[in-house]
Amino acid sequence: MTVFSALLSHYRRHPLQLLALALMIVLATMLWTGVSHLTDRARASLAQSEQAIAGQQQLVREDGQAVSVQDFADLRRQGLCVMPWLEVQRPSPEGRVIGVDPFASACFGNEAPGQAGVDALNGEPFLDIAEAAEMVRQGSEGDLSLLVPVDVEADAVPSDYRLKDFSMGPATGELGESFLLNLDALGVLVLLITALLVRSVYQLGLVQRRESFTLLRRFGVPAARVQGLLLTEMVGLTCVCVIPGIWLGRWLAEMLGAGFGQVLENLFDAPLYAVDGGGFAMPAMIMVAVVLLACFADQRVLMRLPGVTGSVPAWWFGIPVLGLGLAMVAWPFTLGWLFVGIALVFVAVGLLTPRLLSYVAQWGAEGAGAITLWQRRELAVLFRRLALPVVALQFAVAMVLAIQALVTTFEDTFERWLAQRLEAEFYVEVPVQAAAEDGVRYLESLSGLGDWHLVQRGATQVRQETRRDRAGSSVAADVFSISPIGPLVMGWTLLDAVPDAWDKLAAGQGVMVNEQLARRQGYRPADPIGFTLGEQFLELPVVGVYADYGRPEGEILVVGQILPETFTARFQSLSLNPGALPIAEIELGLAAVWNNDNLTIRDNASIRSLASGVFDQTFLITRAITVLTLVLAGTSLLIMGWVFFTTRAWYYRLLFVWGLSRREVAGQLRWLAMFLTGAVAVAALPLGVWLTWVLVSRVNPLAFGWSLPMAVYPGFWLEMLALCLMIGLAIALLMRRQLGGGVPAPAMANVTGGGER
Amino acid sequence: MVASLLTARGLNKQFRSGNQPVSVFRNLSLHLDRGESLALTGRSGSGKSTLLNILCGLEKPGTGSVQVLDEVFEGDTDRQTEARWASLRRQQIGVVFQEANLMPALSLLDNVRLRARLAGQSEDGCRDWLERLRIGELAGRYPDQVSGGQRQRAALAMVFAMKPALILADEPTGSLDRHTAEDVTGQLFDLQARHGCGLILATHDVELATRCSHHLDLGHLPEN
Repeated sequence: MTVFSALLSHYRRHPLQLLALALMIVLATMLWTGVSHLTDRARASLAQSEQAIAGQQQLVREDGQAVSVQDFADLRRQGLCVMPWLEVQRPSPEGRVIGVDPFASACFGNEAPGQAGVDALNGEPFLDIAEAAEMVRQGSEGDLSLLVPVDVEADAVPSDYRLKDFSMGPATGELGESFLLNLDALGVLVLLITALLVRSVYQLGLVQRRESFTLLRRFGVPAARVQGLLLTEMVGLTCVCVIPGIWLGRWLAEMLGAGFGQVLENLFDAPLYAVDGGGFAMPAMIMVAVVLLACFADQRVLMRLPGVTGSVPAWWFGIPVLGLGLAMVAWPFTLGWLFVGIALVFVAVGLLTPRLLSYVAQWGAEGAGAITLWQRRELAVLFRRLALPVVALQFAVAMVLAIQALVTTFEDTFERWLAQRLEAEFYVEVPVQAAAEDGVRYLESLSGLGDWHLVQRGATQVRQETRRDRAGSSVAADVFSISPIGPLVMGWTLLDAVPDAWDKLAAGQGVMVNEQLARRQGYRPADPIGFTLGEQFLELPVVGVYADYGRPEGEILVVGQILPETFTARFQSLSLNPGALPIAEIELGLAAVWNNDNLTIRDNASIRSLASGVFDQTFLITRAITVLTLVLAGTSLLIMGWVFFTTRAWYYRLLFVWGLSRREVAGQLRWLAMFLTGAVAVAALPLGVWLTWVLVSRVNPLAFGWSLPMAVYPGFWLEMLALCLMIGLAIALLMRRQLGGGVPAPAMANVTGGGER
Repeated sequence: MVASLLTARGLNKQFRSGNQPVSVFRNLSLHLDRGESLALTGRSGSGKSTLLNILCGLEKPGTGSVQVLDEVFEGDTDRQTEARWASLRRQQIGVVFQEANLMPALSLLDNVRLRARLAGQSEDGCRDWLERLRIGELAGRYPDQVSGGQRQRAALAMVFAMKPALILADEPTGSLDRHTAEDVTGQLFDLQARHGCGLILATHDVELATRCSHHLDLGHLPEN
């Protein structure tokens, strides 16, 4: 029997404890790896996306039709440097790939998109166009573009074609980064919670083993050797556990990957390309470091083995930290600053909560009867001794409360907003080169047609000097023009407005701005705003601020009548309710007016349904991760609570010896355990509500430019409370079963270290 | 008042060691009146603690019956029987173990108050019991803040505060030094005699056993 095997013999006696520790490490690794793998993959994919399209331009047909292989052949014959770019969307979770022709791209030189040398086409997302075409033949959805070098001028392009920026949507860099930063923050929070859980299970094991450590030291084994062996034991266990943890994390990421891809594609217009999320080495090393840090960071563990107690030191330190964190969140300069502030608040709450709950438990107990006094004092001991799992569960519950409130608020708000934006039943795209006015005149000539309006989108420069006296500076924004202003838009919920805002907008006496622009430039209703429309500069009052979720750009809403001739519309469409007329008849009429049989007509109900589906997917990851974290934290408190209650089993059995029936003792245990976990839920509530406020009122405006209304969901609070009470009940039932056995020797209480107060 | 305090008849107790039944004691009978004391001696594993547990209802005998005051127990295991035993332990039987008799989260005084309250006694005299056992000045201390002897004195204070008819003490001085042990047992016998309750004391100490009015050596019981 060596010293090491003597140390390990503890786990022969307590295999469940070893299993719990291993399980914690595996689950912690799984959760963290899952989140980080998703974000790494998404970050790499976004980078690929940006790199692939950066500075490129494409050729599109003047008649609005999609380009084909025949177009490619014709253009090459005319001597133009053109490269086909075939994007193929494979079924989830394989992701999107891009087929390029290495020979056709030769004329691009070193500027070829996707580094289109033949050697580069041996892996995802870029592959030979023949392979991509084969995927399309087998049923995958494909989208062909024709890229031309950036130095090709417009006059070099054949007349049936025109140049267009090769971009798949609005700029996503900042928004994508913000989204990923949120996920990173969630990953760090998950890592923090799981590290707390690993630490709590490990420290409880140490408490139970301290008699063994003392004996070994009495037998002449130096403390440093015991410490070294403990470290070796933990390194070994961690190394064994992180591998399945990482594998499970990747499996989790793959499971959630489909939803994540949809989020990026639909929320940010950023395609999720198939890229590798990195190897095993880095996450494994990080997890080993985190686990070792979590278990051995407390110097007492290493230097004073017999003195380990698992309590949280220096709780009072939490007060200034809390003040600092709250101040940083109240006045955030940057997103990073804000996240540091949130982290400080969590650290402070972690330090203060067990002590606070302990005081509250004992508050007013002095004057109470002896049994009540015992209950309160025992509860105070439990709060202090189970500090780490209590805090971990508190964090997890708070996180779930906040995420749930955020997601539910977002879904409610977004659905209402979407319903307002897609009030019309149909949406008809005005073809390129067609005159929108012809369509408008046709609609005006119809009788029996429902409400309709023309939408024209373009760009503007908002002059800042009208508001902030910054001579010469201006910011880019979108123009969203509607005419006529009618019932289809007048139902929009405005965040802030002057009286009769819609009438003033319709009369051209003012404009509305979206929340993003209002926040960035500080516009409020009645403020003047100076902006360009084509070559014309206008200064009008802001009559309203409207919500505009899901994109970062600022936008000005104007009535179409004020658009000058020089204004160039990037995009035009008609939104309409057919009323008494069949949509097919309207479509035929518009096709005739515009001389185009290929009109794009969308049913807005299906878009609404699609968008709702997308947002369901959007929060799948956050919901899944928070619920998994909650389950982990709940299980941890269950295990820790049970083990800790077991160390005090003798004292609970004293109640039985002193004449309480088994049922009464079980009742006392139930009260203690349920009060313990119920108090955790109550303590998590203010933290959860605060975190919700931070997410909707601080993180969202900084990251996305728009905020959400603050809403609370007491029904969900009750669900969380019920869940925590269930955990307490489970602890009590386990203890009842344990106390139902024989009477152990009272000396056990000292050996297991359950006699602390 | 009934003079008879405790009567046990034909008690048998077996444990299983692997597949083999091991008999701890067979057909054991004993009787104790109020004011009497009985010392249980015997080697480790002879069944002293097991017998004490059976006599206060914490364990069931294999066969046999136990009568405490007017309550007769024939080995039934129903809820009513358990409630009757619980009631006796609560009000009539005080149990003192070798150690860990106190709730660690309560002060010495609060421990005594809790025990008195459970027994239906007033909490007013609790501090007096600590004074009588010469630990009055430690009333506000917690169990981990006093010595082992002081903890055992507090345990005795708890038992006497409930005014029991019978005290079962399982090696109450086993973890104390000789001087402290003599002091504690002196107080135990003194108070037992003064209050006229019965005492059954499990001990390895033969000298201590001689101070009891009866002595039963479980290591030298006849086979039947």
